[in-house]
Amino acid sequence: MSGTTTTTVQERHTVNPLDRPWGRWIQMAFLFFIGLLTLMPLLWVISTSFRTLRDSFTVPPVWIHFDFDFSNYQSVFDTIPFLNMLRNSFAYAGGAVLGGAVTSALAGYAFARLQFRGRDVLFWVVLSTMMVPGQMTIIPVYILMGVKYLNLVNTLWSLIIPSIFTAFGIFLLRQYFRQVPGDYEESALIDGANQWQIFRRIYLPLAAPGIAILSILTFNSRWNDYFTPLVFINSQQAMPITMGIVELQGEWSTGSIAVVFAGIVLSVIPVIVVYIFGQRYLLEGLMMGGIKG
Amino acid sequence: MASETLATRERRGSLLGWFRADTFEGVRRQRAILGYLFLLPAFIGLVAFVVGPMFVSFGLSFYRWNIFKPPDPIGIANFQRLLTDSRLPGIYGNTMLLVVGTVVITQVLAIALALGVTQLRSRKFAYFLRTAWFLPVLMSGAAVGVTLSYLFQREFGPINYYLGVLGIDRIPWMTSASTVMYTIIITAVWKNLGFIFVIYLGGVVSLPQEILDAADVDGAHGWRRLWTVTLPLISPIMLFATVINVIGAMQIFDEPQIMTRGGPGDGSRTAVMYMYEVAFKEQEFGYGSAIAVTLFIAILIVTGIQFALSRRWVFYG
Amino acid sequence: MTHKLSRRDMLKGTAAGAVGLVAGLTPAMAPAQDAVQIRWSQNEERWTPVVNNFNEMADTPVEIEFLSITGIDHEEVASKILSLLAAGQPLDAGYAATEATVLYAGQGVATSLTDRVKDNADELAEYFSDMAPILPEVMMWEGDLYQLPDGCNAPNMYFNLNVLELAGLEVPPADWTKDDFHEYAVATTNAGGQETFGYAWTNRLWGSWGPWYFVNDSNFLTEERAPGGEWLWETFYADNDTVAHRGGGWRWPEPSANHPNTVEALEYVTSLVAEGISPGIEMGGGSSLQGLYVTDKLAMTPAGGFWAGGLINAGMEKGTFDVQFWPQWKSQRHQLGVGGNWIFTGSPNPDVMWEILKFSVKREQMLSLKDRYRPLMRTTPVRRSMASDESYEPSGPANWHVFYDTLDRQDTGPIPAPPEANAVTNIHTRFTGLAVSGEMSPQEAMDQAQAELVALFARTRG
Repeated sequence: MSGTTTTTVQERHTVNPLDRPWGRWIQMAFLFFIGLLTLMPLLWVISTSFRTLRDSFTVPPVWIHFDFDFSNYQSVFDTIPFLNMLRNSFAYAGGAVLGGAVTSALAGYAFARLQFRGRDVLFWVVLSTMMVPGQMTIIPVYILMGVKYLNLVNTLWSLIIPSIFTAFGIFLLRQYFRQVPGDYEESALIDGANQWQIFRRIYLPLAAPGIAILSILTFNSRWNDYFTPLVFINSQQAMPITMGIVELQGEWSTGSIAVVFAGIVLSVIPVIVVYIFGQRYLLEGLMMGGIKG
Repeated sequence: MASETLATRERRGSLLGWFRADTFEGVRRQRAILGYLFLLPAFIGLVAFVVGPMFVSFGLSFYRWNIFKPPDPIGIANFQRLLTDSRLPGIYGNTMLLVVGTVVITQVLAIALALGVTQLRSRKFAYFLRTAWFLPVLMSGAAVGVTLSYLFQREFGPINYYLGVLGIDRIPWMTSASTVMYTIIITAVWKNLGFIFVIYLGGVVSLPQEILDAADVDGAHGWRRLWTVTLPLISPIMLFATVINVIGAMQIFDEPQIMTRGGPGDGSRTAVMYMYEVAFKEQEFGYGSAIAVTLFIAILIVTGIQFALSRRWVFYG
Repeated sequence: MTHKLSRRDMLKGTAAGAVGLVAGLTPAMAPAQDAVQIRWSQNEERWTPVVNNFNEMADTPVEIEFLSITGIDHEEVASKILSLLAAGQPLDAGYAATEATVLYAGQGVATSLTDRVKDNADELAEYFSDMAPILPEVMMWEGDLYQLPDGCNAPNMYFNLNVLELAGLEVPPADWTKDDFHEYAVATTNAGGQETFGYAWTNRLWGSWGPWYFVNDSNFLTEERAPGGEWLWETFYADNDTVAHRGGGWRWPEPSANHPNTVEALEYVTSLVAEGISPGIEMGGGSSLQGLYVTDKLAMTPAGGFWAGGLINAGMEKGTFDVQFWPQWKSQRHQLGVGGNWIFTGSPNPDVMWEILKFSVKREQMLSLKDRYRPLMRTTPVRRSMASDESYEPSGPANWHVFYDTLDRQDTGPIPAPPEANAVTNIHTRFTGLAVSGEMSPQEAMDQAQAELVALFARTRG
């Protein structure tokens, strides 16, 4: 490997069909096409949210005509306590991210890199919790949250606490920890690091991209959770934004769909910001991390 | 060996000494204890909020319970009813179709996108694409359901309009029992592609470049390099991505619930929707729990098979 | 070195997140347990004015903890109430429409209001005299009253006047027939060279194709009046000569999904889809149907009084839509759903709750409900005096009197909603969907629906 010169690698590379100009163009066109497919519906939602409902369903469809009719957005703020709901969603999603990252990193590392009796059985127990539909456990969990036990119903804690224990996060980080080559650990041991230091100084930073991905995905899934708040939250004071969107649809669906779209646009902006920030961190973490070195 | 360890312990005279790292045994013990300690928080939480409630629910499958009156033990009658439930085969057929369709399309596309986007020379274009692909993931299932039900609308929806431009007849996306499941598959792929893509992106970006270069040197390019080098290197992530995708697809609920309510007929009803409907709408919590048991076992079997097969193809570095 | 950098970033992010989290949590952190006396599963914003008014006049003010139920869907509301009950959470009162009235009454979850109404007969006389007798009758179960009617909706025919104009038509007279309807539907399909549909509906229990089997002298389940209820009729409607035939609520003893008349009604609406007069029939809340209607792509659809304000809210102009009775076929019988509050059997404070309910049905209190009757009519009022030129002035329709007149028609009856209403709704929508999408003939679909209904009743009633 060390004997190979850069020029040989370069020459060999040109054999790859994807490096030929037409191959690259086809590849780029394909990637762009998929991007278009995922982008268009959202664009349509945004553009519709800026028009009155009467102009919403034109055939052929209109994508970039905006009336800049902000009345739909005004209606969102008039109908629901939008900012308060936004803050509740942030607390719910943020709490789930912080708690989830800690418990998942610890447990994921244990399953990936530590040997102890019953590890595989325990891993399957954890994994099996992912296979239970949330709809089925909601009533027992609700009873647990109720007056008789934890007395947390109608607080944001009732949403946050159950969501910081996630088999998904444990499984995800286990796979990341396992992907790290084993020789890192050996060299650290030789340097006299103790077991906590090996986790904290070597593995945790290397798993940073995994933690970033987990954080983005957790934030996103809790931000968009509707079913749990529906059951656990009773007052507008503690409602997250997903419940607000449903309220915009109105009884018997008599709300204007254009207003609903405006609410969707407003509620998706914070997650887009989190994603853009998280994505940057994710890539910087990868570039700074030790995997390539 | 044993007497030596004992002697060491006695000499140091403290429990702490037992954990000391200077023997092979000591390191092993340390790592085992650390393992249990690290698992503890997650385990307590999962037991309290998932495993415990799960057993409660599974216990309910031996009762008739409508919430209003105390549960009435009826033995295995709920499970006998499963065998004679004429709706169940069709509903499980839908679920299987949804899982296979969604997972195959999503996995192939997500790997292609992750590999493709890392090869792009323009960083801005790559950034744009990554963001575009991920946008649907950022929308809630309910928002996706509302939006797509407008786009798929048969008479005035944009999708049928563009198909019409291409000369294709209007497709009854949501109003025909024989096509509706494909609509749900498209929706599920659209919603989850970015999710699986990001998981692969993490794996692909952290691929050691020297190994890929070395493969090139050894004469593995293009497809061959993909099969023999790249895919094996990201195989731990592949295992994760497929398992997650399968479990997620088996539990899809929000989108079909909003778009079609499971209809027409049972055309787009999945097992979890049926369970929810039986338990919450018809207040048959016992029978709903029995359906949940079947779903749990089905997911367990499928995941078990995936892990068993993974020994043949997953490569841990 | 590089590791340290990325770690610091991470710590920074964590700290910022933690601060945000604590700031976000504090206001909503403590359970609201101080001095709560009443727990009511109702729309907080709408009912707060009434509660405030109650507190102004009451000797001992109440503090209400509203258990807000967001959800356009009956099943979401039901899952919330069921979870509350399953967890043993104390609850004083809730809200239910016809679909669930009998369920809660039949299961003993709602408490009978009969004795309380009798004891307060003088005070409530004005309320009942201002109300069509069908409304309290629908709120009865086996002779006892379980809810005080609060709002109601009967599906009438809505016309989009812009589309009617394209076809050169006007709103038909009250005694129009199914044949007239068919002519209208044909004429308004692709009217004036534009792509329009004559008729559309949403697949659900209320206002779906139900109005068609009602006018075809049939039903999805057989119905009969339960005995009893004389106490109500004698107390409040003694001088009303139209209550002689009324009883103590409804019973639905047998399924009749495959009754020839029911099948005939389904065949008719299915043929409209097949001929392109109706678009594909969707499940659900009906929001895309409203979209079609508001954008002048649809001429006729079934909806209740709630749609008057709803259409204006959705951007339609006053005067561009109107209503009429359902067309005659073998009869001109209309169906109906009524909503109201009920008191929980295990309520810790049933007396206080009753005082609030009694107070809330006063005319001025009903009018002070937020966004209910003012500025727009969002439901058909149960009080006759509240359906007026004045109240429909902001929204129309011109024929607004049809909404309340439907309640005064002697043959109007409730949608088929036995204690098994949720399961019945499911069977109804499932086989309707199969028939209108052409997967099954209407006869096959209704035969299978009948078989499932028979099995259901055997399970629940056997």
